[in-house]
Amino acid sequence: METFLHTLRRADEGVTGSFDRAFAPAHNPWRHLGALAFLCLVTAMATGIVAYAWYDTSVQGAYASGLRLQNDPLLLGRLLRGLHRYAADACMLLSVLHLLREATRGHYRGVRWYSWLTGIALAGLVWLSGVTGLWLLWDARALFSLSATAEWLRVLPLGADLLVRNVLTPAALNDRFFSLLMFVHIGLPLLLLAGIWIHVQRIALARMWPPKALVLETLAMLAALALLWPAVSMGQADTSRVISVLSLDWFYLFVHPLVQALSAQTVWWMAAGLVAALALMPLLRPAAAARRAVARVDLAHCNGCARCVADCPFGAVSMLARTDLTRHALQASVHSDLCAACGICVGSCPSATPFRSGEAMVSGIDMPDTPIARIRRDLQDKLAALPQSPKMVLFSCRHAADCNARANPTTLVMTLECAAMLPPSFIDYALRLGAAGVLIAGCRAGDCEYRLGDRWVHERLLGLREPHLRASVSRAQVAVQWCGDQITDIDTALADLRAQACQETALKTPISLPA
Amino acid sequence: MAKPFSALVRYSLQCAAYAAFAAVIGYFSTAPPYRQRGENEAVLKLSFSHSGQLRFACRQRDAAELAKLQPNMRSAMDCPRERAAVRVELDMDGQALYRVSADPMGLQKDGAATVYRRLNIPAGTHHFSAGLADAADGLIHYRKELTVDLQAGQVIVIDFVTGSGGFVFTRG
Repeated sequence: METFLHTLRRADEGVTGSFDRAFAPAHNPWRHLGALAFLCLVTAMATGIVAYAWYDTSVQGAYASGLRLQNDPLLLGRLLRGLHRYAADACMLLSVLHLLREATRGHYRGVRWYSWLTGIALAGLVWLSGVTGLWLLWDARALFSLSATAEWLRVLPLGADLLVRNVLTPAALNDRFFSLLMFVHIGLPLLLLAGIWIHVQRIALARMWPPKALVLETLAMLAALALLWPAVSMGQADTSRVISVLSLDWFYLFVHPLVQALSAQTVWWMAAGLVAALALMPLLRPAAAARRAVARVDLAHCNGCARCVADCPFGAVSMLARTDLTRHALQASVHSDLCAACGICVGSCPSATPFRSGEAMVSGIDMPDTPIARIRRDLQDKLAALPQSPKMVLFSCRHAADCNARANPTTLVMTLECAAMLPPSFIDYALRLGAAGVLIAGCRAGDCEYRLGDRWVHERLLGLREPHLRASVSRAQVAVQWCGDQITDIDTALADLRAQACQETALKTPISLPA
Repeated sequence: MAKPFSALVRYSLQCAAYAAFAAVIGYFSTAPPYRQRGENEAVLKLSFSHSGQLRFACRQRDAAELAKLQPNMRSAMDCPRERAAVRVELDMDGQALYRVSADPMGLQKDGAATVYRRLNIPAGTHHFSAGLADAADGLIHYRKELTVDLQAGQVIVIDFVTGSGGFVFTRG
């Protein structure tokens, strides 16, 4: 299973890399699938609200409403209808892609189980919303879908037998049925919005909207599609005739041919099996090596600055009233069930500086599996043990390329859970210990395994976020490479940094530091 | 490190990516076409909701039985609520087309039995015979026969309405 997921992950990295080259990494649509799905949902809702003004909730009026829009001589109706339809289709497709991408990246377990489960439910809601929208057009496709859905539902013990009788004869159908459909079609997207709010509850600084450029380009693409390839109704629904060939919207109506080809019961079992399999995925435990203890607060060293709260990508740290009677008003508290053990909070902690004196180095918040004191000790010992100069230090993220093979007599490789776990003062410290250059390597830009690590590192090094890298540190000796699994990018960055740093350090002499 | 593309190449690739996405959305929103029936087929839909007869007749409780009941439950008549299953036989041109026995709904089996079946049949003139048994004796108490000419794609609905004397044949 792990091998399979690893292969998928590599494939995802490949797709992401390709999109990164065509788009700027920050505008890579493959990285914004969830946000793009949200954009399409909002587009479909906004156009739906306008279209509702033209919609007649009656048996005769429903079909005419669709025609009125599609035949609008000014093309505004065509644009409106096409945007509504294609945004809904895109929303379904993007939701599924978003779900698949998160699955390939293993984002269904650990603290992400909550977003994963709510995401599965949301995908179902998107599907239901779209199907009910197609019924409202009341053309031959709508009649087929409504009948087929009713037939599919019949096998469940829900008393749905009578639903199918609504569409047997013209006399069986009345205007109130369309009022009910409209109520459902408006209610489900509202439920979706509420669901999305729940979906991102355990994520700090959730990226709800794609970058502005992607928003504009996506809307332009949908508008062009709506005008060039208009969404049109089939013939009016006629219960006395069944047309032989239908043009289906396969994003939503794929289930009907499936029921026809297999059986209603089989498709229900398949759907239940798929949902159960997806829902049970969070129970797949990661390899023992990947299981890490959650962050721990040491009150004696916590000054209540709340930087860990600001930086935690999963909202796992909060501030509480002080319990140890010190002069500080607040103290950090870790919610163990929300903590991903990424260590980003350690990187944000002002007490996690290696320049602190004292017998033992203890930070206000720390990772029990890789305490900051051990990182400092390893840095001191291993850097001193490097036999050749110029000495380079490579801090690499465990989720990016495996850099251990790059360790050599001049290069020290230290692997961290996340690049943002490294307090910027460690860069300064490594340079003072005699390193000629420090390279930080991590996941692709915008693709941090822990969501915000690359952003925080970037802002800390630029001095935009605390704790920042001291201004006096020569930037020529520091480099950052967001490369994911592209080890060759790290090689290149390391070689460039080495050349650059050697010039910079030509006149510098390393200082000695107390043990 | 992969050499970055020139701006022209990047914009071209972006346009191609959007065009490909639009093509996928546009195509699968209506295609490939789905065939829901054969070229020369009509559709028959058998659908009704009907309560069968009570399975057991009411009977008088004797004094001993009444004495065993709570005072507020001492009704002189015992009328079981369970209804008989509804059995349908549908023949087309003298051949059995569909047979079904539907149980009454409800925990006490005292509700209506519902039947729904969609069948694709060859277009043309057909003679239909529909029979329904709704009593415990299992005998067909309702029967209706009809000869009808069905065009390709035409729908015929067979309903059962007791108030209308039994089976009702309607063209969709």
